[in-house]
Amino acid sequence: MLGYAVRRSVVALGLVWVVATLVFLVIHLIPGDPAELLLSQGGFAPDPAAVAELRTQLGLDRPLPVQYGSYIGGLLHGDLGHSLLDEHPVAEEIALRLPRTLELIAAAALLAVVFGLPLGTLAALRAGGPADRALSVLAGVSMSVPVFVVGTLVVLVFAQKLRWVSAGGFTPFSRDPLEHLALLAMPAATIALGLAAVVFRMTRSSILEVLGRDYVRTAMAKGVAPLRIVVHHVIRNALIPVVTVLALHLGTLLGGTVLVEYVFNWPGLSGYLVNAVEARDYPEVMGIVLVISVLFVLLNLAVDLLYALLDPRVRHA
Amino acid sequence: MTSAADSCRTPLVEAEGVSRAFRARQGLLGRRRDILAVREVDLTVARREAVGVVGESGCGKSTLGRLLLHLLKPTAGTVRFDGRTLAEIGGDRLRTLRRRMQLIFQDPYGSLDPRRTVGDQIADGMLIHGLATPAEARERVAGLLSQVGLDPAHAARLPHEFSGGQRQRVAIARALATGPDFVVADEPVSALDVSIQAQVVNLLADLRESLGLALVFISHDLHVVRHLCDRVAVMYLGRVVETGPAAAIFAAPAHPYTRALLAATPSLVRRRDSSRAPLAGELPSPSDPPSGCGFRTRCPFATTACAEAVPPLEAFGGDGRQVACVRVAEIG
Amino acid sequence: MERRDLHRLAVPLAVVGGIVALAAAAPLLPLADPVHIEVSARLTPPSEGHWLGQDEYGRDVLSRAIWGARASLAVSFLAAAIAGIAGTALGLLGGYFRGVVEILTVRSAEAVLCFPPLLLALLVVTLLGPGAGTLIVALSILYAPSYARVAYAETLAARNLDYVVAQEALGARSGRILLRTVLPNVAPPLLVQFSLTVASAMVLESGLSFLGLGVVPPEPSWGLMIRGARSTMDQAPWLLLWPCLALTGTIVALNMLCDALRDVLDPRGRTVSANPFRAFVSGLLPATEPAPAPPALLRVDGLHLAIGHGPGALPAVRDVSLAVAPGETLAVVGESGSGKTLTGLAILGLLPPVVRVTGGRILYTGRDGTTVDLARLGEPALRRLRGDELSMVFQDPSASLNPVHRVGDQVAETIRAHRDLSAAEARRRAVALLDRVGLPDAARRARAYPHELSGGQRQRAVIAAAIANGPRLLIADEPTTALDVTIQAQILELMAGLKAQAGGMGLIFVTHNLAVVSEIADRVVVMYVGEVVEEGPVAEVFGSPRHPYTAALVASVPEGDDDRLSAIPGVVPPLHDLPAGCRFAPRCGLAEPACTAGAPALESLGGGRSTRCRRWREVA
Repeated sequence: MLGYAVRRSVVALGLVWVVATLVFLVIHLIPGDPAELLLSQGGFAPDPAAVAELRTQLGLDRPLPVQYGSYIGGLLHGDLGHSLLDEHPVAEEIALRLPRTLELIAAAALLAVVFGLPLGTLAALRAGGPADRALSVLAGVSMSVPVFVVGTLVVLVFAQKLRWVSAGGFTPFSRDPLEHLALLAMPAATIALGLAAVVFRMTRSSILEVLGRDYVRTAMAKGVAPLRIVVHHVIRNALIPVVTVLALHLGTLLGGTVLVEYVFNWPGLSGYLVNAVEARDYPEVMGIVLVISVLFVLLNLAVDLLYALLDPRVRHA
Repeated sequence: MTSAADSCRTPLVEAEGVSRAFRARQGLLGRRRDILAVREVDLTVARREAVGVVGESGCGKSTLGRLLLHLLKPTAGTVRFDGRTLAEIGGDRLRTLRRRMQLIFQDPYGSLDPRRTVGDQIADGMLIHGLATPAEARERVAGLLSQVGLDPAHAARLPHEFSGGQRQRVAIARALATGPDFVVADEPVSALDVSIQAQVVNLLADLRESLGLALVFISHDLHVVRHLCDRVAVMYLGRVVETGPAAAIFAAPAHPYTRALLAATPSLVRRRDSSRAPLAGELPSPSDPPSGCGFRTRCPFATTACAEAVPPLEAFGGDGRQVACVRVAEIG
Repeated sequence: MERRDLHRLAVPLAVVGGIVALAAAAPLLPLADPVHIEVSARLTPPSEGHWLGQDEYGRDVLSRAIWGARASLAVSFLAAAIAGIAGTALGLLGGYFRGVVEILTVRSAEAVLCFPPLLLALLVVTLLGPGAGTLIVALSILYAPSYARVAYAETLAARNLDYVVAQEALGARSGRILLRTVLPNVAPPLLVQFSLTVASAMVLESGLSFLGLGVVPPEPSWGLMIRGARSTMDQAPWLLLWPCLALTGTIVALNMLCDALRDVLDPRGRTVSANPFRAFVSGLLPATEPAPAPPALLRVDGLHLAIGHGPGALPAVRDVSLAVAPGETLAVVGESGSGKTLTGLAILGLLPPVVRVTGGRILYTGRDGTTVDLARLGEPALRRLRGDELSMVFQDPSASLNPVHRVGDQVAETIRAHRDLSAAEARRRAVALLDRVGLPDAARRARAYPHELSGGQRQRAVIAAAIANGPRLLIADEPTTALDVTIQAQILELMAGLKAQAGGMGLIFVTHNLAVVSEIADRVVVMYVGEVVEEGPVAEVFGSPRHPYTAALVASVPEGDDDRLSAIPGVVPPLHDLPAGCRFAPRCGLAEPACTAGAPALESLGGGRSTRCRRWREVA
């Protein structure tokens, strides 16, 4: 198991390097000079002298390998560069906002698992019954509604019409824990709706498949009690694909909370990203993309390790 | 016709010291290890001869079959077909040569494309090699179908409309469509019911007779091989351990493995001799074979000498038999 | 494709088709100009001229919704198509040629998957600036790797399929193989992927437009409409409704289409009541008076099993009777479709959900001396017997063991299901059992996972679990079919040995292999398409068969010295098309008109032998 973990970690580290290099290459090799782009807002051709000055200032006039070297060197020291607009260090801003985004995702994932897993199991055990059919239709619709639609409607109903909560915003936990959680609830539930539907569907089909396996029939032939069969033989095997799918979706959420954060004014990483994209502040964009992608890789690593815990075959593969 | 007489004397297919390794890697950074599926096998198949290749799962018999057809490239050794070394002729010429060598598979459900009519699939080979116009091909498909005992009108049907035995007949028709003179049949009857098995074995025997095919028949069932083949090669852990005339080997197996295999095969007419215990232990991993003789870990006659060197195939008895066992003379 | 499949596809296809048609017809419809601004009519509710009202600039909402569909659909369909073509090509090439080609195609495309999708789209927008063209580029890059992955995995699987190798063996060129054989067979999952991609491209497109980073105003798009309506939602909440409904409805329809496609094209995904727990319904049969003579161990009387319900139900097993005495080994032999396996499963009440007992009795006399009818016993009572007094070993040992639990625990589980023992004690007994079935180094192997054992060792472990509680009856369903000959001999030896030790244990051995029967069994029951055709002591039945089918089976075993095997002509009839009268008559050399006129009954010949043939005296 330990050997497996070490091997997987080495691979993950390699991937992180690949991601960092890709981000660098994308920004530097794609036609369109960042300096020119930055100065050309408003549709006027920028002043060549100003562009040249900005290029020197940004170090863009240096040879590509040199730029790459200083970029990787900076990364190793935790330096993600500075904003083009206000010179603010990118790393600092990310450190402030990232925990908020992670909190949102964690809360959503928790809700999705708490609802999706038991309901999916129930639906599978009662496959074809009325409860199964109702839940499946509900999940099908929940999965299809885009998050920003759900979010907007949630704000409309709960904040505008019913006035249960304020329309969005953020209060640090240290200042007012209750208000913090109340403000967290709406965006988290919005994300959780679609995610729970995914977990539900995956759990249902996975459990149905395992129920048809020979070892379940063998357990029945041994006279093992039905509840024990479900808990001991079915769920653990059924969980393996569910974990994969959930992790895949969580990874997607790392960048996908943009819309929800925007709708609910949640000051996470995403608002920062949208502003950076709008302003074409490329050191900011690069920094955020890099951090999220690295988290994405780490998440995949965590899933692989969890997989190995759940399925002994993987450990020895 | 001296040339014809010459070509009759040279074997149609000759494998010389062929080995095939598969690279298995454990994980992305895991250790690489080679699994030697086939090791230094010599095998010749004369024109019109039927050779049986027998062994249990993992002995390398299917790999050997694909090596003989050059569907897999050997990692060592050479395979010659009609005097030409297959590894040296490439691309188009090899493809042209494929007209003359064909393969029949074990699983009658997997060997036919479920989305195309059996007629189209039988016609494929003729069209690929330009042996017939589409119209001629249709006519010949009908002829082939009746040749393998199916209704020619069924050419327009899809594979799922046939039973397992009938599909195997379709697969045989497809193999025969290009007029091959060499056919490798890889466990063609093991997936079939007993009563159907006999039908297909008989069909293969008839076709071989009437078309003068050279046949390599791969099987784990010694009894079926005995019915169909002139000569047998018994494989264990990638190597041929015994080879010779089928009748002689069945009457008096010489290698300890052949003996054990025959003794273990259940029989309708002879009840198990309870005094003879079945072979103990299991097949060693092909990635980590024992030193010397591969069979020594399960062999009741093994001595320390067996671990030292791989025993070569050596002539034994006067009937053209070869056995790879250092103690074969003593234990007889 | 079956009619039912078309039916399932019809509704989502019609809805998606309708939406696409409406969007395509937008220029032809008498709609107001979608970008015409009328500030004075700002936020007017629905009126005669503007059915859905006017937005924050006084533009016609209906017109904008329909024109907006064009933008959304065009972007998502185009992006999905471009990604599909590029990704499929990469995947096909990578999967077929492997090696360097694989690295250049699939693996490099997968680098894109290191980035979360929305993030990647934003990155492209940063570089290229917002707009519909940018969106198509971004989404194509985003989705191509998923196609490549699917196409790659499917090609890899197809690459090793026998019929693809057959093409290669025929001498076909790679291009021909890829296009004619591989592509059609990997197409279904790609089609599913396409509908999936269109739906998620639509979500992303609208999301980016909603953020103001997608379609550029004043061009209409659903995302932009929601963005606009959101800013005025305290004054005109209904404006939110239309674009939200249009967007969600379209995505629901696309997802439904995707599900339907998946079900229709990929039969593996079809999960038709594989649920064994729903089959546990007892008391389906009317109660009958107890049998006149209770059996010493087990007697099956006139058992009927049907597959399915109603008039379409297939009579899989008809009027099967058999008995096993304590200490006896009974072989049930037959070809596929003979009903031998179902008969075995019926005894333990483990029939698959689609199979029902429609008649007959399964009388069993238990340890306590009482006789019960297993066909009518409730599930809780059956469960107490299963694994304790009645046990079963299945064909495939690797599938019978749960891959995530240790072998010893799986043996101990049987013990603890019926005996009140501590976990440690059960484990100790499990090790003893594993030792008894000849697993070398049992104490260590008990801690192994199934995949760490060989096939023969796994079957030993399965047998250890089956005999853990000293059952009175063991049913073994083809226990050696998945094993090699030398391993088969070991397992047969083991079973014979265990039976000798256990004294009174009865054994029902289900197999298709006549030679195995003659080695292990005392008596044999021969089955053909769901009926018993002959029964008796093994040596007598095989030595001098009294049914033409048995005689033909024995003759077709390739053991004799004859040059030619004797084969049974014809094919086994399918259950839905059984011949009238004697089921074997169409393949029988002795058949006469009387044979097809009426079904022969099982006739007792004395000496424990019986046959279902009117001409048994003539069977040589």
